[in-house]
Formats: sequence, structure tokens, C-alpha cells
Amino acid sequence: MENKHLIEFNNVSFSYDEEESKVFALKNVSFTVDKGEFVVILGHNGSGKSTIAKLSNSIFVPAEGKVSVDGMDTSDEKNEFEIRKKVGVVFQNPDNQIVASIVEEDVAFGPENLAVEPEEIRKRVDDSLKAVGMYEYRMHETHRLSGGQKQRVAIAGIIAMQPDCIVLDEPTAMLDPKGRNEVMNTVMHLNREMGKSIVFITHFMEEAVNADKVLVVDNGRILLEGTPQEVFSQSKLLYDCGLTVPDVSALSQMLKKAGIEMGENILTEEDFVDSFLKLCGKNAVEE
Amino acid sequence: MIKDITIGQFFPGDSLIHKLDARAKIVVLLLFIVALFTCRNFFSLGLLFLMSIISVLISKISFSVVLKGLKAIIFLVCFTAVLQIFYNDSGEILWKPFSDKDFAITTGGVFSALFITIRIVSLILSSSLLTYTTSPTMLTEAIERLLSPLTYLKVNVHSLSMMMTIALRFIPTLIEEINIIMSAQKARGADLETGSLMQRAKALVPIFVPLFVSSFRRAYELAFAMECRCYTGAGKRTRMKKMQFALRDYLMLVFIIILTASVIYLSYFAQSTLFIFEKVI
Repeated sequence: MENKHLIEFNNVSFSYDEEESKVFALKNVSFTVDKGEFVVILGHNGSGKSTIAKLSNSIFVPAEGKVSVDGMDTSDEKNEFEIRKKVGVVFQNPDNQIVASIVEEDVAFGPENLAVEPEEIRKRVDDSLKAVGMYEYRMHETHRLSGGQKQRVAIAGIIAMQPDCIVLDEPTAMLDPKGRNEVMNTVMHLNREMGKSIVFITHFMEEAVNADKVLVVDNGRILLEGTPQEVFSQSKLLYDCGLTVPDVSALSQMLKKAGIEMGENILTEEDFVDSFLKLCGKNAVEE
Repeated sequence: MIKDITIGQFFPGDSLIHKLDARAKIVVLLLFIVALFTCRNFFSLGLLFLMSIISVLISKISFSVVLKGLKAIIFLVCFTAVLQIFYNDSGEILWKPFSDKDFAITTGGVFSALFITIRIVSLILSSSLLTYTTSPTMLTEAIERLLSPLTYLKVNVHSLSMMMTIALRFIPTLIEEINIIMSAQKARGADLETGSLMQRAKALVPIFVPLFVSSFRRAYELAFAMECRCYTGAGKRTRMKKMQFALRDYLMLVFIIILTASVIYLSYFAQSTLFIFEKVI
């Protein structure tokens, strides 16, 4: 029964301050992540979204409620190792999660800790570097890479451990637009091509458009849950918790208000262009 | 000046020196340093100097990199050389700057200055070649293996080598961070270049306080990231790259042992046979 979900948060509360447990970073949070699912967790700074990342692989354990990974309780120390094999976490600052000075040696760090055979490590390292498109850089020094490249190396380091689910805690927050694109494409590839479950934590709404499920976290609670279309239609609510919908969505909603009948569910520029051309009665041949 | 620090840098390559086992390289370097410090005549010193130059050539590390590494110690070299010139007053007098005073520049002084300069340069060349041609992970693993007998004395050798790996990994990151903080403080009007030595030392406080704070934050985050990647401190770990002694490693070791032994022999037991070479020190 429980094994149905890969990750299950059941009524989870967590507080950083153990003495005065009045201040909760998370309060009564429940959600599930299934195999192969792409879940995006949205929230502004301090909303408690990063705490979710650390709760998901037993770095933190909940004060109340229960987090289980593939049926294993994260509060049980005995499960720690197995849970971390299943759920890998990539953090915000790529500099602070790279252990070795050379790309391939850093990627090998995880499998080495899992006591994998050397030949198998070699294969995993090559495969994961290819998966993130950093194979040509395997002998480069990590500190000379760009932010996006470093973050992709960090992701490769997690893939090499062959987890079922990868949790990315604001992996794009410190990157420039180019780096953000690189990381986003890599993550999409992992989900679509390699079938990994993804939990993507971010405050950039644009990054949520491809998700299967979006959770909006505010003040330690889950405010909204649903498909990107469902969530983005609540622009007022999102605005109140410090998030802005993608420009094109906002624009189409404004147009709608002004009486121009744009199509439903406009999330990306392509959606907008399509719907706009349809409105003008033209074929979507030229932009 | 901070940019010139090349210590701990690694330049990937596939020369013979890159391929040598890291443990062999460390032992070779140690014996080479022993030879360098026991040698007492120009003949053996010249031989050792030539060897370090040849090693640099074999490693295919570009000379500009090597020179950059030497630039950092040029002050130290000049300082010791000048001291040596005045310190040693054997041999013929070459120049007596003050006729009323006792001191003079002598041939002995010049020779010993030259000697010490070549010695320091060879030392830096050979030891920086170790880090230039060995990846930090291999280097620290080699140290871990070489120190492994210490585990019987309850020393946690693995932790030591992990610390070294991380330290080497973070040197460039922290240097970059220092530059950023310095620029930030300069933008706020901090004066880092003028004033007395005391004043300049004090001006560094606003650089190092943020550096320490951020280092602790980094350490905290790194610890989380390492835990996420199933690092447990000790326990069973494997390595991607197996360390294996090849024939070339054994040959290299035999060669360096013979070299060191002959240098020691020439310096201490066979001085008379080498009288044609200038004896100094």
C-alpha cells in the first residue's frame, strides 16, 4: 500500500528551533511523489521549500508526521543509507557541493561511497557525464567551469548513484539565464528520457510549466496543488505570496479581462503565439 | 599577487610523469629533496638541477606556468642569496665596499649564494611538479596509502586525506572569494594599499571576517551535500582509479635511490676525489 508512492509526506511539521517549537518552518504538509513524476515546488524565500528538500532524504527528520521513501521511514536511522541511495539532492550553490578538483573524480565520489566496483564506477561516471552533456569536460578542473556547468556536474554526481528520484533545491537560483537553460534542459532529459522522478524546488514560475504537478508553498504550508494550468490561473493568490506568473500568462489573463478571447492555459511563448495567431485567423506558419 | 599562487594546481596531461603512480612520485620527491639538501658540491647540485629541468620538460608543463610558480618565491631567493653573500667570508676578496670596515664580498660568498639559489629553485621546481602532474584526489589518496601504517596508532588517516582533498579543492574558490570581498570593501572606500604596515594589517580585518563567515557557511553546506552522497566518514569505500605500481614506478624508485645514495656518498665520503669541483658550505 505504502510502496505505491516513491516519496510520501504525511502531515509533516518541522521546526528549526527545537526549544520553542512554535515557529514552524513547515506545518502539516502532505504530498506524494510517484515514480517518473515531475513535481515542481514553488515558493518565495523563507517559505519552507528548501526544508522539504532536506526532509526528503533523511538529512532532517520531521518533528511531527512522517516522511517515507519507498515505504521506509526517514526517522529511522537504519534506513538512512538506503534512502539516500534512492533520493539524491542537488543544492543551490554548485561550489559548495563539489568535493573533488577534477570533474570525473567528483562524479565518482558518490559511487565510491556506495562501495561500487571500480569498473562499474568508471562506467557510471561516463554515463552520467554524458547524460548531463559534460563528458568532454571530464578531465577539467571544477573551479574553472561556469555556474551552469558546475551545477550539471553536481547533478551528474547524483545520477552516478543511480537514485530513483532527484530533488533539486533551487538549482538555478545562482545561475545566469544561459546556465538556467542548461540545467533545465538537463533536468527535463533526466525525467523524460531516463524516467527519473524529479522534485524541482524553485521560485521561478517559468520553470514550472513542464511539471506534472505544481505545489505552491507559502509560510510553511501548501497553498495550492495542481497542474501548472490550474496553478497559474490563480495569479492573484500567487501574487499575494510573492510569486509572479510567467509574463505571457499574465498578459493573456489581462487580455481576457479586457474582453479579448485568448485561448485557455497559456504558459509558454509558443502557446501565446499559437493562440494569438488563431485569434487573428491566420495559420501558424509565420511568427 | 594572489593570482600567482599556483600551489596545488593540477594540469591534466598524459606524459610519463603524469602516468607515474602518485605514491612513487611522493617517495621520489622526498628522496630528491634529501639528495638536494645533502649535496655539498656543484657537481651533484648541477646534476640534480639538470634532473628537475629534464622532469619539467618530460611533463610538458608549459614554462610560463613554471616561471609563474617561481615568481612567487623570487623575493625569498634574492633575500637568502644576498644573506649568503655577506655571511660567507671565505675565499678571495672580490670587493670591499667600505675600506674602514671589515666586511667584503668574497668568492666563497658568491659561490654559496649561487649554490643556495640553485638549490631553492630545484626544490620548488621538483615539488611543484608533483602537484602540477598529480590530481589532488590521487595525491591525497597516495598520502593516505603511504600513511596507512599510522592507523595502528589510532590516527584517522582517511579523515586527514579527505580534509586535504577538500582543502585543495577550495583553494581556488577561496582565492576568488577574497578577490570579490576585496573589491567589495574597496568599493565601500576601504584603503588596502597605503599606510604603515600596522594600518595595512588592520585593513585586512574587514576582508578576513567575511571570508571566515562564508567559509563556515560553505563547510556547513558541503557537509550536507556530502551526506546526501552517502559519505559516512569511514567504512567501506571503493575508488574509481586503482593505484597500481607499474614497471616504470619501480624503475623510477631504483633510479632515485641510486642517485640519492651516490649524492650522499660524493658529499660525505668521497670529497677528496672531487677536489676539482668547488667545495662550498
